[in-house]
Amino acid sequence: MNGRWFALAAAVALLAGVPWFGNAVLIQFGINALLIAVLAQSWNILGGFAGYVSFGNSVFYGLGSYGVAIAMAQWNLPFWVGLIFAATIAVAFAALLGWPILRLRGPYFAIVTLGISAAMSALASNLDIAGKNVGLILPLTRNDTLFYEASLVLLAAATLTVAWIARSRFGMALIAIREDEDAAASVGVNATRFKIAALAMAAFFTAIAGGIHAYWITYIDPAGSFDTTLDVRMVIMTMFGGPGTVLGPVVGALVLSAIYEVLADSISKAAALFFGIVILVAVIFLPRGLVDLGGGFRVLRWRYFLTNIRQYRI
Amino acid sequence: MTKNLVIAAALSLALTGGAMAADLPSTITFGSSMQLTGQDANLGRYYRDAYQLVIEQINKAGGVKIGGKSIPITLKLVDNQSDNNLAVRQYVGLVTQDKVDFLLGPYASGTTIPVSSVSEKYQIPMVEGGGASPQIFARGYKYIFGLLPPADDYFASTLTMLGQLQPKAHTVALVTADDAFDVSVAKGTKKLLAAAGMEIVLTQTYAAKTTDFSSIMAQIKAKTPDIVLWGGLEPEVLNAIRQAKSLDVNPKLLMSFTVGVPAADFRKALGNDANDAFGMTAWLPSPALKDTWFGDAEKFAAAYKAKYGYDPDYHGAAGAVAVETLVKAIEKAGSLEKSKVRDAIAASDFDSLYAHVKFNAGGQVVIPQIVIQIQNGQVTPIFTDKFIGKPVFPVPAWSKRG
Repeated sequence: MNGRWFALAAAVALLAGVPWFGNAVLIQFGINALLIAVLAQSWNILGGFAGYVSFGNSVFYGLGSYGVAIAMAQWNLPFWVGLIFAATIAVAFAALLGWPILRLRGPYFAIVTLGISAAMSALASNLDIAGKNVGLILPLTRNDTLFYEASLVLLAAATLTVAWIARSRFGMALIAIREDEDAAASVGVNATRFKIAALAMAAFFTAIAGGIHAYWITYIDPAGSFDTTLDVRMVIMTMFGGPGTVLGPVVGALVLSAIYEVLADSISKAAALFFGIVILVAVIFLPRGLVDLGGGFRVLRWRYFLTNIRQYRI
Repeated sequence: MTKNLVIAAALSLALTGGAMAADLPSTITFGSSMQLTGQDANLGRYYRDAYQLVIEQINKAGGVKIGGKSIPITLKLVDNQSDNNLAVRQYVGLVTQDKVDFLLGPYASGTTIPVSSVSEKYQIPMVEGGGASPQIFARGYKYIFGLLPPADDYFASTLTMLGQLQPKAHTVALVTADDAFDVSVAKGTKKLLAAAGMEIVLTQTYAAKTTDFSSIMAQIKAKTPDIVLWGGLEPEVLNAIRQAKSLDVNPKLLMSFTVGVPAADFRKALGNDANDAFGMTAWLPSPALKDTWFGDAEKFAAAYKAKYGYDPDYHGAAGAVAVETLVKAIEKAGSLEKSKVRDAIAASDFDSLYAHVKFNAGGQVVIPQIVIQIQNGQVTPIFTDKFIGKPVFPVPAWSKRG
């Protein structure tokens, strides 16, 4: 156990040191990769633990971007006030949204979440305060180290929250909902309330990630902020790393981001194709995610992959 | 198990920062991240082709001349896959790893806005021919220069022309899409109309990518304005003209469109119905536009077509002159020092195959749009700041056309 904690601390220290020993490109890549890891980790709270697959979490990312952009560009408030504003509207929206839609189950829930981001994008493109379709320009800051470290702190906070969830009553309740919602209800779990709390937590971290990104890239518009490809990416990254685990989404997001970056650099035209192949191979051989590979492979060796295929009848 | 994976993840992070390119003192490197794949690839390729052609031509003539020496140019072009985040990372990479000397822009305003922050952060001049949004130039940045004219002024030359034609135009219907570019067009055009003393009898904004304009057409028909000014994207303009014909909507004098009219595809899609439509372009391959390296715009267009097999439009011309602007500025500054070259770009004042290049205080060129009209299926230049062709005016009603 001690060894594992030591390794984790070393990894965090290594990541935190990137701005001092890494180059500018690595920092840029790090900011993007850490932020998408935050999205995956947030998605994991409701998607991984409670088994509710949401394809609409990018709406919180967009709300976060707009929260910070409106606070900074329209009201001239400092960044941190913008972040508080962004997190507040996203959490409030999650609570409001969760009340009706989290009564739905399984595929019905997933279908409802599909349209949310597009609807919010249409709303933003018609609001004067959100800059309509033209978007908003934020002030330029020459401090990429700040953005990097802020992203890392946010990811650490999200991961610690998930670590807490994994061993708390709250987490047990979410897992109970995933395994059998009716049975959970019959032993006194107020499923809707737990699910809304999980969605609100996801909204909180996702919105702050959106806010950091907005200030870093200095420009937001409806299409880029309510980006529905983010929904797919956070789900894929979580699944790749291992849903319902503490470190799975982080490992999945960082590894997939790195793979994508290498592919984009070396074979730009076919990058998307090869990326698809990587995902396909992962689904076939590692259906429980990358973090399951370590333990499984130690016990079963190469039969681990075969067992997976047989077990899931692929 | 987790420790190995965490370390692996950290290592894979580190690996991506690997590739390095040598910075040879015997060559000047221009860097650009372009949409070569993804949704904007079609237009991104125009810029790649233009960059490559003009650099080849300049190198053939010996390259950039500094202090009696001739130094060839190398182009470092990377594909951003139409992804803005990737484009930002690639520009940082071009500056910090590849150590390119100067930057050429990407395509489109949406990408140019975020990447202009990179040139400003690292204080390396970027000249771009792909983004026209006023937002790029409204931030007080000192290192970004744009070769597309501001959206606000698109109808300026059309209105000047109308002032010199009989009968006079008094009432206007202004119809624009709600995308970033056309919102600027609408804003600027309203100011121009007020200055010209014309009355706006109808203002309509529609959602970008709309296909059904029947209600807008009905309103135009009810108000019968003298002119209709339309700002939108090409497919919208195509549908608007088709529906104007089928609903027999006829403004008294003319209809003019921001885009579409100069494009060959546009005329092919509409056939005879394209005739008499007014439009505009920032550039025509005219022999009157003299150029240092190509001779003139017509010869540039011929060389471009010979190499790539298709005609260049203003995108390609603006891209080519982005390169020329940098080269002229380096030669004038007599140095590769970023701030000196930046000042030389700001003071640009030369003729080129694209236009006379001179930047305003914000760093954007001011080029009048050339008014054009389709006559017998051909793009006919009509008006710059004076008449250069004879317009069919007023445009006959649909029922009276052949």
